[in-house]
Order: sequence, then structure tokens, then C-alpha cells
Amino acid sequence: MSLVRTLGLLRLSLPLAVWALHFVAVYSLQGLACARALWRAPWAGLEAMTWVLWGLTAVALAVIIASGVPAYRAWRALRADPDGRADTVRQRFLFALAAQCALIATIGVVFTAVPVALLPTCA
Amino acid sequence: MSDLRPDYTLPTPGDHLRHTDRIAALERIWANGRGLVGQLTAVNHTTIALRFIVTGLCFLLIGGMLSMFIRLQLAWPGLDVLDPERYAQFVTMHGTTMMFLFAVPIMEGFAMYLIPKMLGTRDLPFPRLSAFGWWCYLFGGLFLYSSFLFGSVPDGGWFMYTPLTDSTYSPGKGADFWLIGVTFAEIAAVTAAVELIVAILITRAPGMDLTRMPLFAWAILVTAFMIAFGFPPLILASLLLEIQRAFDFAFFEVARGGDPLLWQHLFWLFGHPEVYIIFLPAAGVVSTLVPTFARRPIVGYTWIVLALIATGFLSFGLWVHHMFAVGIPLLALAFFSAASMAVAIPTGIQVFAWIATLWAGKPWLRVPMLHIIGFFITFVCGGLTGVMLAFVPFDWQAHDTHFVVAHLHYVLIGGMMFPMFAGLYYWLPLASGRMPSESLSRSAFWLVFIGFNLTFLPMHITGLVGMPRRVDSYAMELGVHWLNLVSTAAGFVLAVGIIAILVDVALCFVLGRRNDENPWQAPTLEWALPHPAPKYNFASIPEVSDRDPLWREPGLVDATRRTDGLLADAHGGWRWILGTSIQSAQPEQAIRLSNSTWYPLLCALCIAVLLAGFITSQYWLSVLMLVPLIGLFLRWLWTVNGRDAPLEIEVKPGLWLPTQAAAKNAPGWWALVGTLLIDGSLFASLVYAYFYLWLHAPAWPAGGATFTAPAPAAAALAALLLAGIAAWRASAAVRATHTQRAVGWHVLAVVAGVAFLALQLPTIADAVGAPQRHAYGSVVWTLAGFHALHVAVAALVGGFVALRIARGHVDAARPLETRIATGFWHYVVAQGAIAWAVLHLFPRFA
Repeated sequence: MSLVRTLGLLRLSLPLAVWALHFVAVYSLQGLACARALWRAPWAGLEAMTWVLWGLTAVALAVIIASGVPAYRAWRALRADPDGRADTVRQRFLFALAAQCALIATIGVVFTAVPVALLPTCA
Repeated sequence: MSDLRPDYTLPTPGDHLRHTDRIAALERIWANGRGLVGQLTAVNHTTIALRFIVTGLCFLLIGGMLSMFIRLQLAWPGLDVLDPERYAQFVTMHGTTMMFLFAVPIMEGFAMYLIPKMLGTRDLPFPRLSAFGWWCYLFGGLFLYSSFLFGSVPDGGWFMYTPLTDSTYSPGKGADFWLIGVTFAEIAAVTAAVELIVAILITRAPGMDLTRMPLFAWAILVTAFMIAFGFPPLILASLLLEIQRAFDFAFFEVARGGDPLLWQHLFWLFGHPEVYIIFLPAAGVVSTLVPTFARRPIVGYTWIVLALIATGFLSFGLWVHHMFAVGIPLLALAFFSAASMAVAIPTGIQVFAWIATLWAGKPWLRVPMLHIIGFFITFVCGGLTGVMLAFVPFDWQAHDTHFVVAHLHYVLIGGMMFPMFAGLYYWLPLASGRMPSESLSRSAFWLVFIGFNLTFLPMHITGLVGMPRRVDSYAMELGVHWLNLVSTAAGFVLAVGIIAILVDVALCFVLGRRNDENPWQAPTLEWALPHPAPKYNFASIPEVSDRDPLWREPGLVDATRRTDGLLADAHGGWRWILGTSIQSAQPEQAIRLSNSTWYPLLCALCIAVLLAGFITSQYWLSVLMLVPLIGLFLRWLWTVNGRDAPLEIEVKPGLWLPTQAAAKNAPGWWALVGTLLIDGSLFASLVYAYFYLWLHAPAWPAGGATFTAPAPAAAALAALLLAGIAAWRASAAVRATHTQRAVGWHVLAVVAGVAFLALQLPTIADAVGAPQRHAYGSVVWTLAGFHALHVAVAALVGGFVALRIARGHVDAARPLETRIATGFWHYVVAQGAIAWAVLHLFPRFA
């Protein structure tokens, strides 16, 4: 909890920024795989590119969760101990928002990853 | 002066006199000049914003008239109202007008009018920039429509797909009118974005911290950031296509290594966020009106803020769903299909929050609320057909049919026009001091609602049956002629309804019943103002302690009209607003604004002449116009804040605050940050174009180009880094009060920048040759030229600041301008380092 004491607008958007980076990375790599045959060789039963895309997804989810869970905990702590000061209210609001952003970003990344599981890299 | 109201706040005769004196001073300082000159030089946000709204409504009428012709032509198969050529022109101009000249600018107008009033301040932080934006918008729109006079109306569709719009297939000037006119008008969008970001971040009333910010302000903040990232791809695409058309470059031409799909990517990279750029302000309007008419605070404030932020991000992952049919690999389509469905989640959150608020409250069905209900029904239907179209197989079926036309009108008219009309009626008493007619306004709503649904509901069927869009007729055998006749008839009902609303609004200013006190019992700060709102908005800047200030703080209205609060005293006869901290909104600085001035109009006029010279290929005229343009901009900057401005002022008895030249969070600094976001997005789009062309090229470098010579390239990079270091030392010298040294460092930065250009450009010329040979040369030269332009601007800014330091306008106590110059230099060096790596290193490893 004490890890994240104050939270600004920039930090707040981190999970969604990670979603955006993941989206761009996955889309670009897929483009390179199809246009330039990058990492198309099979590796442990799947195309190497598929593993890379899965790996990126895992990293993105890890970062999002690592930013969302402390925010959620900080929000719970502030909710349990309200002192009514404007600063506290604002921090609670920002932590709630950060946790919710992480939730939406998680859904977004999972949505993007589902096609990787269902479709071949280039079709 | 004539507007003075009887004073009821201060009892004793002596105080009364002081109060009326202070009010009279505020009236005088914030008034526009007299007569026509006063109108031409006005910069006040109320005046400029109302102009945006009125101009937008005029373009709505013009664009609507074009659509009436389109509907007449489609009323029955084989009609001859418009020949195919005219039909294509009208369809193009209808879409272009509604998107670029109506929807975006009018929402900017609403934001510019409401944001200062809602946030409890007197004006936007850059009034001249707002005025400049409006002139650019007006001239850009007139520029586009002047194509009718010259008989070369754009006809490539509002999306201007290449190769249809390149010089081979669109040889006239039509496409040029579109590219130049629309880009000219878009200046207003990007300047408004910077203006609104800064206004919302640092000019909120004291106490209005992030948790108490009105949802409309949140919506506008997110929208402004989306404009900053979303508009540059289109601006870049327009520049590239215009360069190709004017100078025979090869970005989109297959024979010389270009790719027409690059246009579509860049266009929709703008075009999809654009839909949300239009929708989010409208959602902000809905979030403002729903609590007022439900007569209770909004349910799920945090969730709505989340939805706005999440939509802002997710909407950038949808653009390829406009390109499902162009032959992109299936997995890539699936990414965009998934994101298109994901974006329904935040939108759904907002809809449920609004429904919950109405459910928990005691709804009051006044005219604005009728339009909100129209919005709910229409927008939800449009959203659902949007989810249908997000499915790739369904999209392939419905692609390019009237189903898509139906969908997009449900989303845009439902998601933007109904909330816009709701907002128009809602804030009308604030702007006019009068109430709209209850009977005419209700009839007009029903005409619009019924007319709209009868026009566009049948198009779902005609589209699914197979009626193509963008074509001037259809086969009788399709059996959709009766449905089309219904659409046409209903289209006229819709038009009559819209005209009735506009007549109602206009009449209200003359005939409406007078009302000067918060007619809807609304909770937000703008309703603390007398109606109609005075030009200075608040006599004393309010201090708020709640999200719904007018509901919770009964004394607030009186406090804002007395002249014993923040900034009630007119210091030195200048226009002052208060600057507060970003998160907690504590008073931090006093910001001195410009009075009425000619600069915005003159600068916009210079640009208009410059562009007229360009479109007629009189390039000497364009180059010549740069001289007055740059001169005017420099003069504009020179008159901001100099040594005559106080370093601090007493904003209320006992509270002294620094003025912006001395403040850390100065508006100029944040404007630089906002501008660099826009410019960075423009640069990123160009780098994207480079790699996109590389991706499908068999060889790189291509078109006979070779690698650049390493030694001069390395020397160029060293010169650029030197410029960055010199700029950094210049600011340090200013802080250490070494004036001479600061000037010297700034001059050295300029010299190093010029040396960089002298080394870099010949190196590229030797290796690449003419830009017309191949798309490789085209994109390399454009990237190098783009950065060279930045170096030139940085040199101009650096030289300007050196002069300001020498004249004593910038010093250790007023370091803002040198901070800005150094910040810009560092950005230019960073951009140059990336461009350098792309231009000189990447081809060696590609």
C-alpha cells in the first residue's frame, strides 16, 4: 500500500497505455510475420511468432496487474479509514480509477489475445 | 455599463460605490471593442465560442441541403436530379461538411463557451489562439466551398481514397480544394485541443480538485487529448497526398513503390477516433443534463470518468474495422474486431450510469430531456448495429451498402446531434437570458425524431437487400424503391424539424420569456452567472468545496457576484485569470491575458493567401506570404508578457501570487507540452508511413538510392546534439543571471542547428537523389524535410528568446520563455535523433 502513496493522471493511464503498446506490438509483429515471414518456423509445436505473441500478452497482463492490484489495495485501505480530508478523498478516487483502468485494460488485452489462440498467424 | 444590476450584496453607500466601480472596471476591461473593428479584433471566449456554434449551425444547414438533393436523387430508381458527377460531389461535400465543418467545430464551440464558465474562471488561457482558430475554421470552410465557384468541387468521397484522388484519376483542382481547405479548418481543432487541455488542467476554480471536476470537463479533457493524437495522422496524410499531387512524389503510387492502402491506414487512424472525438463531448453533455433533470447527483461518477478515459484509449484500436474488405490478413482483422467489441464496454458503463441516475432520481421531462431520450433510443440502436458490423463476416456482407449509411447516421445523429440539441436548449437561457418556447420546441423535437427514424430505419433493409452506397441510382429489381421514397419524404420532415429548432433558438433571443436565475435548478458553476452571462463571467473567482456546488453551497452565487473575492480588483486594467494546481486546484499563479487584437485575423488572412497561392501554383506568392506571417507571429509573441508585467499581484487581501512568467506551472509551458504531443503524433505518423512502405518493398533503399555517407551523417548528429546542449546551457545561464552568456548560448544553438542542416541535407541528396524517383526517396525527403522545418522553427524561437533576453524581457525572475525555447530545442533534438536513426541506420539493417 505504501508503495503507491500519490497517484497522478499519468500513472493512472499506465494500464491502458500498456494495452495500447501491446496492441501495436502484436499487430506490427503479425504484419512482419505475414509480409516478411518473420519467426514463422515451428517451435515446440507452434509457430515461433505465436509464442512471441503469447509472451508479449503475458508480459502486458503482468504489468497491468502489477499496477492494478496495489491501486486496488490502496483504495480499500483508504476506504476503510476515511478521514474526510479533500486530499484523502482525491487519492481514493484516483486509486479507484487506477484499479478500474487496470480492469478494463485486462479485458482489452484478453480480447486482443483471443484471436491468437483461435486463428493461424497468416490466413 | 448598461448591464449593471441593482446591487443587493453590500449594504453601506461607500461599499456600494466601490462595488459598482469595480464592476464597471470589469465590464470595461473585458468588453470587445466598438462596432465592426471590435468584432474583428474580439478574442473573448464567449464571443468566439458563440461564433463557433453559429458557424457550425450554418454549415449544418448547408450540409443538410446537400443531403436533400441526395435524397431527391435516390427517391426512385433512374431519376435525373443530379448527374453522377454532381452526385459524387454532393455526397463528398455532405460528409466533409458534417464531419469537419459541423460536428467537430460545434462541439469545440460548446467546450470553449462552457469550460471557463463551468470551471469558475473568466476566459480560456490563450484567447488569441481561440480567435485565430475560429478565423482558420471560417476561412478553411469558405476555401473548401469556393470550389463551387471555380467548378472543381471535390468528388472523391469524404474519405478521399487513393488512387481515385491522385492526379491521374482526379486531374482537376477538386481534391486540392479538399486537402487544403480541410487541413486549414483543422488548425482550429488542434489549437482548441491545446487551449482546452491547459484550461482544464490549470485554470479550475480553487477547490475544484479532480474529484469535483464536472463530467463535461472530464469528457472535454479526454477529447482534447484524442484530438492531439488523432488529428495528426489525417493532417499528415493530407500533406503527403497534396505533396504527391503538387510535386509528383510517389507515396501512394504503386508503380513507383508507393501503396494506396497507406492512405486508408492514416485516414482511419484519424477517422475512427474522430467518431469518439464527436461522441465524448456529447456524452459529457448527457452526463451534465441527466443529474439536473433527475434532480439528484450522478450515479457512478468514478465509473463515468473511467469510461471516458478507457474510450479515449480503446478507440485508437479500431481503425482497421473500416478496412475489413481490403485484403488484410485474418488475424489482424480479428484484433480490430475484438477491440471494436471491447469499446462497447465503456460506452455501456456510461449508458447504465445515466439510466441508474434517472432511475434513482425524480425525472423532469423538459425539452432538453426529450432530446436526451431521443439520444438514448437512437444511439443504443446505432451502437448495436456497430457491434454487428464489428463481426468480420457480417461486415463483408453489409460492406458498402446502405446498412452502413444507416448505422453511421444512427451513431452520429443519435450520439452527437440529439445531445447537441439538448445542450443548445439547456444552455440557451444562460446565453440569451430568455427561455425557449415550450410548444415550438416540443413540436420540433418530434419532427426531428420521427423524421430521422423514418429516414434511416428503412436503410437497414435497403442495405441488407443490397442497395450500394455512394452510387447515384439503384436497380428497380431490388424492390427497394418504396422504402427509398419513404426515406426521402421523411428526410424532408427531419429537415423541417431542424429548421424549426434553429428558428426557435433564434426567436428565443428576441421573444423568449426573460429568465435570469438558473431555470433548471442545475448544480454546476456556470449557472451562478447572471443570464445572459457577462463577458468577465465572475466578478469574484469562486471557491468551491463540492462536486455539485450550487446544490450544496447556498452562498456561492452571491459570493461570485460580489467584488470582495479573488481577482475582483482589476490590477492595472488587464484581463486576469487565476491559475491553480493540476490535482488539488490550489491557487498558484495569476495569468495575464491579451485584450482584443488584430493578430489572429491577420495571421489567418496571411495563411489564406498563402494557400490560395499554393493551389493556383503561384508558389512565389506562398513563399512571399511567409514573411508577413512570421513577422506577425513574432510580434504576437512579443506582446505577451515582458518586463512591464508585475512579478506578483495581490489576488485578494493578503494573498500574493506570482504571475505566469515567474510561475512553474505556467500556461505557456503546458501549451508547449500539448503542442509537442500533437507534433509528436504527426512525426510518429510519418515514421509509421516510412515503415509501412518498407514492409511491402522488395529492396530498401529503393529506386536507385544508396546508403548515406557515414562521416557527414555522424557530424550532422554531433551538430544537432551540440544545439541541444547549448539550449540547455542558455536556460541555466538565465537562471544564474548571466544575461550575456545566455544570449551567447542561444545564438550558438542556432548556429549548430544551421550546421546540422548544412551537413544532413546534402548527404541525403547525394545518396537518395530526387524525391520523385521512388516512394523511398519521397518518404526519406519528407522525413528529413519535416525535421529540417523543426530545426528552422527552433532556431527562430531561440533567436527570438535571445533578443528578449537582451532587451530585458526574460531574466532569472521571468524565465518562462527561455524554458519554452529550451524545451522545444530538446524535443527537436530527440525527434532529430530518431529521424537520423531511421534515415541513416535503418536502411543498413533492413
